[in-house]
Amino acid sequence: MQETIVVTGAGVISPYGIGLAALQAGMLSGKCCLAPAGDMYPDFEGTTAQVCGLPFLAEGASSRYSRTDRLAAVAAQDAVADLDRESLAFRESGVVMASTVAGLSEIDPGIVQDPIAWYRHGGLARAASYPVSHVAATVGESLGIHGPNCAVSVACASGAMAIALAANLLLDGAAPMILAGGSDALCPFTLSGFNSLQALDPGPCRPFDQNRKGLNLGEGAAVLVLETLAGAAARHANILAVLRGWAMTNDASHPTAPHKDGIGLADCMRRAMEMAECGADEIGYVNAHGTGTLLNDSAEANAYQSAFAGRSRPVPVSSTKSYFGHCLGAAGALEAAITITAIRCGALFPTLRLTDPIESEGIDWIRGEVRHQPLPLAMSVSAGFGGSNAALIFGSGRP
Amino acid sequence: MTANLPAITGIGSVTPYGPLAGLIPACSLQPSAITAWTTAGLRRAFLVEPFRPASVVPGLKTRRLDRLSAWALVASSLAIQDAGIDLSKVDRSRVAVVFATGFGCVELTESFYQSAAVNGWSGTDPITFPETLANAPAAHVALFHGLRGPNIMVDSKSFAGECALIQAASLIRHGQADLAIVLAGDTLAQAVYGWYEAADLLSPACYNSEPLTEAAGFVPSEGVAALVLEPVGSREGRSYASLRSGRWAAGGQPFKTIRQMLGGSVPNLTISAGNGAPCATSPLTSLAREIAGPDAPIVPPQAVAAGLAETGALLHLILALSSRPQSGQALLLATSGKSGFAAIHLELP
Repeated sequence: MQETIVVTGAGVISPYGIGLAALQAGMLSGKCCLAPAGDMYPDFEGTTAQVCGLPFLAEGASSRYSRTDRLAAVAAQDAVADLDRESLAFRESGVVMASTVAGLSEIDPGIVQDPIAWYRHGGLARAASYPVSHVAATVGESLGIHGPNCAVSVACASGAMAIALAANLLLDGAAPMILAGGSDALCPFTLSGFNSLQALDPGPCRPFDQNRKGLNLGEGAAVLVLETLAGAAARHANILAVLRGWAMTNDASHPTAPHKDGIGLADCMRRAMEMAECGADEIGYVNAHGTGTLLNDSAEANAYQSAFAGRSRPVPVSSTKSYFGHCLGAAGALEAAITITAIRCGALFPTLRLTDPIESEGIDWIRGEVRHQPLPLAMSVSAGFGGSNAALIFGSGRP
Repeated sequence: MTANLPAITGIGSVTPYGPLAGLIPACSLQPSAITAWTTAGLRRAFLVEPFRPASVVPGLKTRRLDRLSAWALVASSLAIQDAGIDLSKVDRSRVAVVFATGFGCVELTESFYQSAAVNGWSGTDPITFPETLANAPAAHVALFHGLRGPNIMVDSKSFAGECALIQAASLIRHGQADLAIVLAGDTLAQAVYGWYEAADLLSPACYNSEPLTEAAGFVPSEGVAALVLEPVGSREGRSYASLRSGRWAAGGQPFKTIRQMLGGSVPNLTISAGNGAPCATSPLTSLAREIAGPDAPIVPPQAVAAGLAETGALLHLILALSSRPQSGQALLLATSGKSGFAAIHLELP
């Protein structure tokens, strides 16, 4: 029988500030953090959600660490605040961190015009943060932990996949606990990329609305502390949630667009439910990928109709990207933290600005007010460029 | 860990040895001069000779792809061919792709920066942007072969290749995939080579045309190596090796952890997966001797694989298997820094 994986810590840095409590309070109040972008680059007029007052890391030259590294380290520090950092289990912990931006935030076009000169004028240390592995290494080094350490970069499904892969490593006994999550910073490279694809809504995004115009980019990081139930019980840890099931699939249909019927995503959700040994009726809430783009949201709605077909009542779904945008590689981890919050406080967060939802049978689009109800089991869903999908199912950690 | 024990049943590679299915025939390889960009004098590296991917894999279209994606497509196709797998007879929703890369699609990333330098951030190329993502090669492998299982890109400081192998084995072991294509590699772009140079990491052999000597150190390399993993005994056919277990860590107590992983077994061969860092070799030898005994044979790191830095493990393994080692237990071993390590316990038929 497979060991149970539990969540015993959650750290977050988001446009609401540092900590899960700040995120929870902000979302319960219905505050939207999306605002006109500042000086990301000349001529860019769009909407983003930025983290203000991001602390510098205490040690080392600041140029060694990218903004993504710093977001990751702050979230990780927050996640382990209640842990005994002198314990052997902590020191042997692993790290699985997701990112798509990583150190791209520190590089400018000067690097291609004359690389040697660019490196000579301060670029060498900044470029060292370019590989995504640097984000995971920063988390490990900043906490003084030395277990298995790796990074995951699977576009917008990265954060959820980091959690899934960490769970697999725990089943393998690779480490006593693993810090898993994602981190991404806003930067001209990605803003320009999504803008070139005409994927950005110039105003605040409207996921799942028939009048949606695209996504907004945000930034942040979330890190979960995962361990086996046996390990958590042995150290009398407070269990925030149980990771009941996880799955990863690929559409294999198009380099960027999702399969229009959401076949791969539906399969992913079914596999996660199979692992969680739960029926479609038992999922009380789905935190959707819900980017606000035309293609994603319609494919996703089709995936829900397929995965939850036969359910006795419509499945409640919302996209919390309407609060602080799409944080790319961090999105899956942030949304996992939001899903855990929803379970713990019995609150289903509505999609903001959803006035005219996509017509979909079998989906209960949550909009308007926060819905308060007991939530034993909830799912967080992610998808990304390249056709990748991930689904995580969390259950209440309370006996 | 015997249930769903993964075996390596296919090998493919696009490396300075060329695009190859199966083992790599022994041959001497020297660095060649870089001509892809203007250099201040002679600059050498282990380079993949340009070739037309469609001439190796008929029907392959790679015109708008980063070379890393193109090589991943070729290497994966060659590995599947080498394994003798007819994908039309396989449940492709159960086939995973795990790809390790340190720098990702760095050539198209450079190209995207170039378009920003010329046109400003408002004038960048929408076709290039998605192809700069680090998971693009794995996604193209899934798309080309119709593989709908888990599709993952991983990176790990010094041990990306080992990490991919361990994660792929884990997917099979836990029943999340029935077959996995594991790939690891990088391309050499101007910005990467320039970074090595500015950081003073290059061997003197990069700057002159003298033959490479053992003491020469780090000569950057490029390429992609691919392995097919499937559970032992799931199909009639050849197995190059089976993966009994694997561990990697950023630090800690390598000897203790590896001994624990081996569970009393003593490998009769250590395959060194030392990477490009000049200090990586001697701590590795000491650790290998501590684990396997002072006289146990060690397959030394090959410069062409070491030049791939953190994604060299699969090529190290392929080159070691190509030397036809005797059957028994082997340890693929790498070290980094004070006590970072990666160790994969293999059974060679």
